[in-house]
Amino acid sequence: MDKAASIARRGISALGGALTYSYPLLLVLAVWEVIAQAGLVRPLFLPTVTQVFEQFWTLLLEGEIVAPLLMSLYRAFAGLALSVAVGVVIGLLMARSRFANWAFDPLVSFGFPAPKIAFVPIFILWFGIDSLSKILLVAFTCVFPMIVATHHGAMAVSRTIIWSAEAMGTSERQMLSRVIFPSSLPYIFAGIRVTLPVALIIAFTTEMIAGGGGVGALLMFAQRFFQTPTVFVYILVMLTTGFILDRLVLRLEAWLMPWLDEQATS
Amino acid sequence: MSVTERIGRLAMGAEYPWLRSVSQMMPIVAVVLVWQLAVDLGLVDRNFLPSFTDTIRALWDITRNGELTINLLVSTYRAVGGLLIGSLLGVMIGMAMATSKRADQFLGPLVATTYSLPKSSLVPLFILWFGIGDVMNMLTVVLACLLPVIVSTYHGVRAVPPVMLWSAQAMNTGPSSMRWRILLPAAMPSILTGVRIALGFCFVLTISAEMIAAKVGIGKLIFFYGESGAYAHMFGGLLAVVVVAYVLDRLLIAFMHYLLRWHDSISASSAHG
Repeated sequence: MDKAASIARRGISALGGALTYSYPLLLVLAVWEVIAQAGLVRPLFLPTVTQVFEQFWTLLLEGEIVAPLLMSLYRAFAGLALSVAVGVVIGLLMARSRFANWAFDPLVSFGFPAPKIAFVPIFILWFGIDSLSKILLVAFTCVFPMIVATHHGAMAVSRTIIWSAEAMGTSERQMLSRVIFPSSLPYIFAGIRVTLPVALIIAFTTEMIAGGGGVGALLMFAQRFFQTPTVFVYILVMLTTGFILDRLVLRLEAWLMPWLDEQATS
Repeated sequence: MSVTERIGRLAMGAEYPWLRSVSQMMPIVAVVLVWQLAVDLGLVDRNFLPSFTDTIRALWDITRNGELTINLLVSTYRAVGGLLIGSLLGVMIGMAMATSKRADQFLGPLVATTYSLPKSSLVPLFILWFGIGDVMNMLTVVLACLLPVIVSTYHGVRAVPPVMLWSAQAMNTGPSSMRWRILLPAAMPSILTGVRIALGFCFVLTISAEMIAAKVGIGKLIFFYGESGAYAHMFGGLLAVVVVAYVLDRLLIAFMHYLLRWHDSISASSAHG
């Protein structure tokens, strides 16, 4: 009896916590609904919240949400995976070899601030308008932060660890794979966490610019035909996707590296 | 000292500083050489990759007839203007969130949920609301620059050591001068890190918005060259954007060093950007 009461109390306090957290969002939705219902703005500019949710439901049933979203996610994650693979290798090499550092450092500091999205027309020219050009543009954008994150991680490995490994006769290859790489994993993971939203942004944006399916392309399509509720649906889909993925990566980080308590919560 | 070691030390600029900058240029020169040779030797189809000299010629061409200059100026105005407005707003909002519990409770969830939204997704909506032009473009840039600056200001202010606050309070510092004369300078390293992230966003957003819909702007120009098959001109425009973004990034770093000249991290690591 007591137990049930305490569970109920905890449930209520959790609900209260969720409410205090989400009341600003609910407030924004309520203000939006009132403005739209009162007809203060033309429905073409701002549909009501209920219209947007009805449209979401319709699109969901028509299969216009899940399949395009999976397509966009595939492009984002394929590009991200590619950039992690290449970026980690280059970052580790730069930390361990003076030649690699000499060769890549100027290229990275020149390429890092460049707005890679401007390469869309070139990537279309080289790789077509299908998924390949989008995946490669995502990879091209994400590889720079991944290189920098890995390099920082590999440079931050404590000298004493390296000296101990050297004293035990560790070869350079083992040094990379058994010492440097594992100890820079937290940095690499932090890099992935920073880069994941970028991958999503680039995937969505290239779809908006170049078409070729995916949520971004459908969003532009809806705007061209002035289907404002659909425009809002796709914006909300993008927002939710980004939010959920960010939370998932946090969870994954806490699960993979439980010793990094303070980083996981920040 | 062996010969190779000596060459290595020379190349790293250990003895002559000017050699160091020459050495830093070498990899970029090498990439340009490979590019030029690959096209000239016919390893790559000229229609897919115009040679470096062709690109420079096209770049000179569009600079002289004013096409590049005007479009690049418009885009830079949008990007930098949006960055300035977004950073100022971001510092104010971040400061409010860090110093007032009520502001934090209200704005915190909004910031957390909109942080991961790709801001370019708002472009179609802003086209509907404001039409194609500066307002729609800059508003997207402002929103994109706002969030990283809010977050970095918030964390920077929160990380100010309490000892500093206590001393300021002991010296009778009012709430407003506490914010702008104690917390703001103390949080400046963190704020500027956020501004540098925002600088990266501002050009990306300007160019994406221009490629989606615009009448003028460098993104529009590059896309237009690409669609009409003027690939050397497209590469020329792209090269100009990359250089402008690089120069702005360097300028911001120089500005950061100037603002933070009192801070330990600068004198310790002045070499690394």
